[in-house]
Amino acid sequence: MTALWTLTVANIRSYTRDRAALFWTLAFPLIFIVMFGLIFQGGGESRLNLAWVDSDGSPQSAELRAALAAASGVNLEDYAEAEALKKMRIGEVDAVIVVPDGYGGQLEANTGSDTPGAAAVVRVYTDPSQQSLQGSVYQAVGSVLAVINMNDRPPLVMPQPETIQTENLNFISYFVPSMLGLSVMQVGIFAAIPLVADREKLILKRLAATPLRRWQLVGSNVLMRLLIALAQAVIIVAVGSIFFGVEITGSIALTALFVILGSVTFLALGYVIASFASTEDSANGMTSVVQFPMMFLSGTFFPIQAMPDALQAVARVIPLTYLADALRQVMVGGVPFATLGVCAGVLLGWLVVCFVIASRKFRWQ
Amino acid sequence: MTNAPVAADAVIRVADLKKYYGDVHAVDGVSFEVRAGEIFGLLGPNGAGKTTTVEILEGLREPDGGEVRVLGLDVAKNADRLKPRIGVSLQTAALYPKLTVIELIDLFRSFYPKSRPTAELIEALGLTERSKAQSKDLSGGQRQRLAVALSLVNDPELVFLDEPTTGLDPAARRALWTLIQELKAAGTSVLLTTHYMEEAEILCDRLAIMDHGKVLELGTVEELVSKHFKDRAVRFDPDEALDTALLESLPAVSSVHVDDTDALVFTRDVGATIGALLAGAEGRGVEPQNLSIRRASLEDVFLSLTGRALRD
Repeated sequence: MTALWTLTVANIRSYTRDRAALFWTLAFPLIFIVMFGLIFQGGGESRLNLAWVDSDGSPQSAELRAALAAASGVNLEDYAEAEALKKMRIGEVDAVIVVPDGYGGQLEANTGSDTPGAAAVVRVYTDPSQQSLQGSVYQAVGSVLAVINMNDRPPLVMPQPETIQTENLNFISYFVPSMLGLSVMQVGIFAAIPLVADREKLILKRLAATPLRRWQLVGSNVLMRLLIALAQAVIIVAVGSIFFGVEITGSIALTALFVILGSVTFLALGYVIASFASTEDSANGMTSVVQFPMMFLSGTFFPIQAMPDALQAVARVIPLTYLADALRQVMVGGVPFATLGVCAGVLLGWLVVCFVIASRKFRWQ
Repeated sequence: MTNAPVAADAVIRVADLKKYYGDVHAVDGVSFEVRAGEIFGLLGPNGAGKTTTVEILEGLREPDGGEVRVLGLDVAKNADRLKPRIGVSLQTAALYPKLTVIELIDLFRSFYPKSRPTAELIEALGLTERSKAQSKDLSGGQRQRLAVALSLVNDPELVFLDEPTTGLDPAARRALWTLIQELKAAGTSVLLTTHYMEEAEILCDRLAIMDHGKVLELGTVEELVSKHFKDRAVRFDPDEALDTALLESLPAVSSVHVDDTDALVFTRDVGATIGALLAGAEGRGVEPQNLSIRRASLEDVFLSLTGRALRD
């Protein structure tokens, strides 16, 4: 165990002292996030686009509409309920406000009554994966209702939160988990380069002349790459959250689980590359050959559904598609391309295949 | 067990060792023994099979035939028991470039059940001043000393040094020689490979001369030289007009070797040969440049065994 740990520390030291490796694995994804974040954030604070569904048609509902329309930063458009929800799903409106039938009557009955019945409700549909947007909607609706409820206790009107999953994550919410997937891939497959370099420099041979076991050597590599991937996950999530308001709505544990599974799978792929590359240069080249198609065909920069069929077929096979998809589902409630079980299964499948190939083909000297 | 009877105190026994790479017979029936406490040298040009032989002994390569016992253990079967007891320095010092001297020594110490203190090793190898330097920033000599330090972390009974001084300047080479002699003084057995005659002459108690995967000759430097040459060597700079046949016809000459840089005449009677040589030269109106007389050396032995000179 001591040897496993000291070798892991040695690997981490070598890694952190290699500026180029640090840049590619740590800074590169961050630069992407910041760049795309700034591009797609547009002109700062945008207006809220709300769909207004009035199923009541009473003077009271008209009054509420007027109050909401007058609130600053709010665009209001009228729709039938079904249409409004559809528009929200495809991302054309940010939230839907529904005034149910009977709202006006209930409000009238309760006003000034000594024994008021249940408060009238207004249904507010938001997407919980877009927390800051959800907050803005609640704030806008809340401030309008507060005026109506001013002197009445209990309140006359209550907002009734409803959730709906939208297909269009805003771009940065889509991008941050995708970028995390991409970084995990890079941490994994980039392991091939120092591995081949160590073999070329006969470091692996020198280690073979000591009592160190091969599992300790591989284990230290896995440990080190896992630690880097997790550190990277923390950095990427922090930057996404602090600078661009991307919140992890799902399970942190599941996120970590997929980061770990992805790291190990791509590390195994890195060992496959190292099995076929004889020099550091060829390892570099082969890593790029694997890296770039994965980067662009896995739905990292644009959704897979938007790709031509031929490319979709490729996307369906490559492991990054499933890692990024799983991370989007787990982190920001992205619309699934495949279920989490399928994602985990495909990654595991790749892991097993890569492991078998690497364990047969990898040469230590 | 097979072949020749063996000394009881042998730390290495190699009998009829073979290693083939396709048609290339890298090691082709090598046999030798290394006794406890001695410095044993494998001497030969690049490609002679020295490194392959050593790496089989270290458990890094599988032999294709023959018997190999190191510290009494069958290397192929007992590599795990052997590795903690030997020290290894590979031909090109293989080190993590971005780790410091201290970090590397500590790392290698962690691989072994028992180890020498880091500070002691750094002191002994003269690396104190550079202990916090990354290995990529070390000079060639310092890097070799670090490689030797790493081979000593487990206080081994037997150390393999594969071309430890190749590429070093004379001062660094001499410093490493002292170190190897100190190892021997401390009771450690050493197997080293070299293609430097001088190194073999100074360091090795016994040596095997290898070429083309075979051991050509084996013994102490004295034995090898006296076996092949009871003669003295007369040396001078050759010129283009030099006639080898004429040299061979000089009195008391046993053999002649002329190449681009040296004309060597081995003789049983220095006075008679030189007298005739100078007289002959004067008759032709030339004078042998840089004329010298010396004992035959290991280099001469190698020359007579292989027909070629052993140079860097």
